[in-house]
Amino acid sequence: MTQSKISVDLLLAGLADDAEKAQERAQKATDVLLEPLETEIATTPYEVVYQDDRVKLKHYKSTSESGMKTPLLVVYALINRETMLDLQPGRSVVQTFLREGIDLYMIDWGYPTRKDRYLTIDDHVNGYMDGVVDFIREKHKIPNINLMGICMGGTFSVIYAALHPEKVKNLITTVTPTNFDTDQGLLHIWMKNLDVDRLIEAFGNMPGDMMNLGFLLLNPARLMIDKYVGFVENIDNKSFVENFVRMEKWIFDSPDVPGETFRQFIKDFYQKNLLIKNQLVVGGQRVDLRKITMPLLNFYGHFDHLVPPGACELLTSKVGSTDTRDICLDTGHIGIYVSGKCQREFAPRIVRWLRERDGDESADSPEARAAVG
Amino acid sequence: MTEKRDQKTVPESLLEAWTEASKDFWGATMRAWPAAPDSSRTEREPGSGAKSRTQESWETTMKTVQALTAVMGDPGVMESVASGINRVPDVVLKVLRPAWEGFFQLQREWLERAARIGKSTAAYDFENLDQEAFKAWTEIYEKEFRQFLKIPQIGLTRAYQERLSEAADKFNIFQAAVSEFLSVLYLPMEKSNKVLQERLAAMAEDGSLPEKSREYYRMWIKILEGHYMTLFKSPEYNQELAKTLDALSEFMAARQKMLEDGLRMLPIPTQKEMDELYHEIYLLKKRLKALEKMQKQGAAQAGN
Repeated sequence: MTQSKISVDLLLAGLADDAEKAQERAQKATDVLLEPLETEIATTPYEVVYQDDRVKLKHYKSTSESGMKTPLLVVYALINRETMLDLQPGRSVVQTFLREGIDLYMIDWGYPTRKDRYLTIDDHVNGYMDGVVDFIREKHKIPNINLMGICMGGTFSVIYAALHPEKVKNLITTVTPTNFDTDQGLLHIWMKNLDVDRLIEAFGNMPGDMMNLGFLLLNPARLMIDKYVGFVENIDNKSFVENFVRMEKWIFDSPDVPGETFRQFIKDFYQKNLLIKNQLVVGGQRVDLRKITMPLLNFYGHFDHLVPPGACELLTSKVGSTDTRDICLDTGHIGIYVSGKCQREFAPRIVRWLRERDGDESADSPEARAAVG
Repeated sequence: MTEKRDQKTVPESLLEAWTEASKDFWGATMRAWPAAPDSSRTEREPGSGAKSRTQESWETTMKTVQALTAVMGDPGVMESVASGINRVPDVVLKVLRPAWEGFFQLQREWLERAARIGKSTAAYDFENLDQEAFKAWTEIYEKEFRQFLKIPQIGLTRAYQERLSEAADKFNIFQAAVSEFLSVLYLPMEKSNKVLQERLAAMAEDGSLPEKSREYYRMWIKILEGHYMTLFKSPEYNQELAKTLDALSEFMAARQKMLEDGLRMLPIPTQKEMDELYHEIYLLKKRLKALEKMQKQGAAQAGN
């Protein structure tokens, strides 16, 4: 009788071990899930200092004595919410900025309703954003501010900086799509065939839940199966459960996108790629990237499946500024803001870069910038 | 003539008896009127002797009935009616024949269409119920059944019926598209399971099967992820996705139109009306903001 090639005894022993561990985990999980959990997000105190329709401006007070002269305005995307930058203490871009003395403002786009369906990109950039920037400039009595955009908010910031360069001192773009003619990401492939007119005609605004379903379908194996298997495997770990629930709260908090803005974003950006070709027209004005002459710092993630490197890295070569820098981190679209590793690499680098350029007007000269390195 | 009258047919004698009885009954009823309670009596002045409107109307009706009964009682008319009654079955048959023929024609049409299903979908194999079945159903629906929902509507409610049919049609198309999309989405699952089984068989052959169950899961999820990536990049998937979204949009729009018909009867504004209002508000606000900005700039320049 030949010996079996399959070590059945080991397999059975492994299964028995797994069953025992699962039972232990289930017992502990009951304790974890039934006791109070800290799952609040965006807990850093702020004040709403300006409001225009549904759009609010949040102001966070710096906790450091050595404050920077120029305030920073963060513009988040219309998809999901800006609360991602302040998910939890210890993993909060907001708190890092405040600790480092940045006077921080952040736009809260709110929740668009049916009445907002006619709002265009022009209304967001030349309307709401310009109103916010003017408010900060007037409040601080300064000619320009630092501007940081995230994802679609980064694209808006690029457009704003090209149309109003005199109001932007330094521009930071993070995971910002500007070149849409790439097949690195599935979104770029899928959006090419989307009949956005029909969709907007039917829905008015683009429903947040529908977009979320689309994002889940980008990688169903990981996002709809493996993620929750991981949750069950760690369900006895209170800290893990708290972080997981915080992330779930943020991910599925998805406002609808105003219909006309979504239509223009799909047609002019994903389907015609007008921005990078300097052919985009917003509010009757052509967006010429060469008018972006202020310093530009461009962050993106090497493993970003939503906005792949190919969609981000062209920007610095197309703008008029001579002070540009690309930084590609080994992370994904969200990891860049929330992963423990990126907490050390992302926000602190932005602070350093801004501090180097946060001087008087003479510090903005090319000579001065060369001296800073 | 007398002989003929004596040899009355059954319907004729029955009719004669019925007209006689009716004449007597209605005559007696009319004569009994003053004794009957009159609801309008309270409105009459006591002892006025004037007839009420109800009584006058009743008497007129009775006289008409009596006159008609008397005419019916005439032997010539009765003979004519009796012969007419004899012809009723013929008339009924003539009326019903086209209706039955129409119904049978319609039934034959359906049966023929059902029989054509096999021909329409020769390219698809029903024995293996996979995503091809959804394509087959869509084709059958579009070629054979959809036309019934496209039959032109007529009459006062024409437009409403048309919108109802449109919504039903778009719903069927949407259902078919979603089913097909879901079946495509399930393909990587099937393929991954198959690949995993083959791989495990090979590993069992080599004696290199993993000992921990977690390893099996890891292997499966990695294969699954790979299959999904391949599927999502394929032109076929993109076509399916676009088709499903189009079908959803069209169904939503058709359903909206149908719902608006119903809303018009209620004191609730329709979405179309609200959208028009929103658009007007949007334009007004935009103009107002532009004017405010101009005024602010003008004031700033005047201050300088």
